[in-house]
Amino acid sequence: MRSRSQPALMLLAGLAIARWSLAQDPKVVTAPAGDPGGSGSAQASPATSTSAAPIEVRVVGQRRQRSDRTADTVRVGGDKLRASPKATLLESLAQEAPDVYVTSRGAAIHGIASGATGGIHIRGLGGSPNSQVVVIEDGVPDYQGLFGHPIPDAYAPFLVDEALVVRGGDSVLYGTNAMGGAILLRSRWRQEQGWEVETDSAFGSYGTIRESAAVLGSSGPVSVAGGVLALRTEGHRTGAGGSNLIGQVAVRTRLGSGWEVTLRQKAMHLTGADPGPVTHPYDNHFFDVWRDRVSLQAAWQAGAVSLRAQPFFNIGRHELYDGFRSVDTTSGAVVESDIRLHPSVQLLVGAAMDRADGTAENRATGDRMRVRAQQSASWYEQVTVEPWQGLQLVGGTREVASPGYGLVFLYKGGFRWSIGEGWYLRGRAAKSFRQPTLSELYLPFPTSNPDLKPERSFGTDAGVGYASEHIECSAVWYRNDVDNLIKYFGVWPAAEVVNIDHTTVVGLEAQVVASDLGPVTLRAGGSWQDVGRYTKQNPSARGVFAMEAGQPVGIWRIRGSVEGEWVHGLYMNNYGQDRIDDVFVVHLALRARQDIPGREVVVEPYIMLRNLLDRRYAYVKDYTMPGFHALGGLRWVL
Amino acid sequence: MSLTLIWRVRMPSRLATRAAILALALPGCDNAYPEVVVVNAIDERVVVRDVSFNGCLWSGVLAFAEATSPQRCPPGSDRVHFKKFDAAKYCQQQAQDGTIDGIGACDAGVAVPASPRDPGLIEEVPLWFNYQTLSEYEAQYGDFKRIELTPTNMEQDFSVPGPYGH
Repeated sequence: MRSRSQPALMLLAGLAIARWSLAQDPKVVTAPAGDPGGSGSAQASPATSTSAAPIEVRVVGQRRQRSDRTADTVRVGGDKLRASPKATLLESLAQEAPDVYVTSRGAAIHGIASGATGGIHIRGLGGSPNSQVVVIEDGVPDYQGLFGHPIPDAYAPFLVDEALVVRGGDSVLYGTNAMGGAILLRSRWRQEQGWEVETDSAFGSYGTIRESAAVLGSSGPVSVAGGVLALRTEGHRTGAGGSNLIGQVAVRTRLGSGWEVTLRQKAMHLTGADPGPVTHPYDNHFFDVWRDRVSLQAAWQAGAVSLRAQPFFNIGRHELYDGFRSVDTTSGAVVESDIRLHPSVQLLVGAAMDRADGTAENRATGDRMRVRAQQSASWYEQVTVEPWQGLQLVGGTREVASPGYGLVFLYKGGFRWSIGEGWYLRGRAAKSFRQPTLSELYLPFPTSNPDLKPERSFGTDAGVGYASEHIECSAVWYRNDVDNLIKYFGVWPAAEVVNIDHTTVVGLEAQVVASDLGPVTLRAGGSWQDVGRYTKQNPSARGVFAMEAGQPVGIWRIRGSVEGEWVHGLYMNNYGQDRIDDVFVVHLALRARQDIPGREVVVEPYIMLRNLLDRRYAYVKDYTMPGFHALGGLRWVL
Repeated sequence: MSLTLIWRVRMPSRLATRAAILALALPGCDNAYPEVVVVNAIDERVVVRDVSFNGCLWSGVLAFAEATSPQRCPPGSDRVHFKKFDAAKYCQQQAQDGTIDGIGACDAGVAVPASPRDPGLIEEVPLWFNYQTLSEYEAQYGDFKRIELTPTNMEQDFSVPGPYGH
């Protein structure tokens, strides 16, 4: 049982530090006119002028995340993700938000099925499996048809422009699974006309080789972005190795009259194995995954109205060592329109439909598992009102119609109030849901239950923050009340998966950043939460810290960062059983960058020293993480 | 083009060169992981398989006095875990139960008829039982660890964890 004094201590610690990323406040970046692909967009509009020549006024900046600034978000740039010493993108994101927890088991691969890690917990929800957190990549919800959650290894930073972590449920905007939160990934485009090639070659401990190459180009109305990541590692122990190959290509063309069409395809091939507990390793418990996703986006923008239509199709084949093979599909479409009704009133309306289907068999035994497809349709609306400067009110609803579960009504409301001198208050309440996955309904891993009902959550949070030139901080209190939570109990053959009546997660989170103090930026944050009895892989406290510094040395610019993580109150099972020792790990990254004069060429050698203190730790019991190890590489931009 | 680019990159100083060499060497730190060898010294009639130590796994079968190949394992401490098959005990049981034609127990040169205690419990399938060493061994960077499995330093292993479902 946890100490009664722990919440109070963590509260004090949490209030003493605060959050660093006020992601609701957009950063100013250069962006091409009319980027409909995500939150970042700039708009060009002709300005009236008395002069003979028309003056083009270009507003450079980022469109706020679908207008809703009341959500508690963390925005992380692609450059930062690419420079992170963490092994995977999801772990890098978790480093930026104390209330986001991601498990790991090695130096490069999360894997799938038994022994897999990469489960995402946000504010006590998600994780096992990570189907209570939705990942939306370039406007498309990314989850497997059968298992209802994304593959953690599918995300690599080489083409990411920006990642946005929405903490707290928001199924009104993001649909099913967005109970704990959402992670929005947006791929990058070249901002100016021309072409660029970026390669990053690295090798490291455990025979790890990582090569990524990206090509970005813009020629006339057509933009192209493509890239490949190839990763191979032998792993830090028997069975921990694997390989990951990700290919991604996108073509965008502007058709005139405000129309823009984008075609994207992303494919991946992941191989590896479950290494098993360190005391009793497994021999060749392999997995082999192929996945491919295609989406087509048509966007139109004119004046105060924008429209987006985006059908998508996602297919994957999974094979396991025990003969299991599945082919699953996810398909659907989103149609969404953003309308500025008044300078202070914005309306977002949309409709979405999705279908998850799949087949599964055990080729060793010849068993075929019956699966019934699942589909739903929904429509949603969100109104943003700014009655006076500095105050934003948001309200929205979503109605989900499903043959299996009838009509589900979801809603949210929130506010953000800038009270002056850099201070702001915000609060939010949202009703969210998750439909059971086909695996939970039909597949015997270790058991299934076709009578499961959707999970529903009511999440509330409230916070205060402050931002100035060098200091940003915030503190948030949150509470998630969940009904019908789907949980597995016991082990095969006595295992069961059932809805449980009601559970509550209450927590505090705080972050602070002191930026540009000379060459140094400091970040620290902490979170504490009470997850009740459902302690399995749901830590009660987590802290993150980082120190970044940059300094020119001759023609080189040297950048370094030390970052660390502390995880406390980690259990392998519910009811506080099977305690895992606290995690404390520190990583170091050093980069030297040289911009070659007269050319758009960048050379950047780097090295990442992971687990600098060579500590023995594990996020999953008996899946010990690697000791001190390193990855060195060279990045070129041509 | 790339040659030109490389030429235009200003070469770093001697100190930076040394730093670069050190940086190139660091990723090979796992080569300092301890090497571990496990020897079956239990009994001439006992074979073991699936020997594991701190994340290392040797999948083959070890007869008496045989050793595993050296394998680099993560530094740390662990017991040696293995599956044990006692061939003599199995043979005696089969002879006693009379499951193999032409093979039976004998007493003072006289064949003893098979006498299974309970025909319903006759087990013809060879069983491999989980065992572990009583001692915990520590292997650190640079070590070469030779671990002997002996009859006085082993016990049944009930610590085998179930699969971890994500």
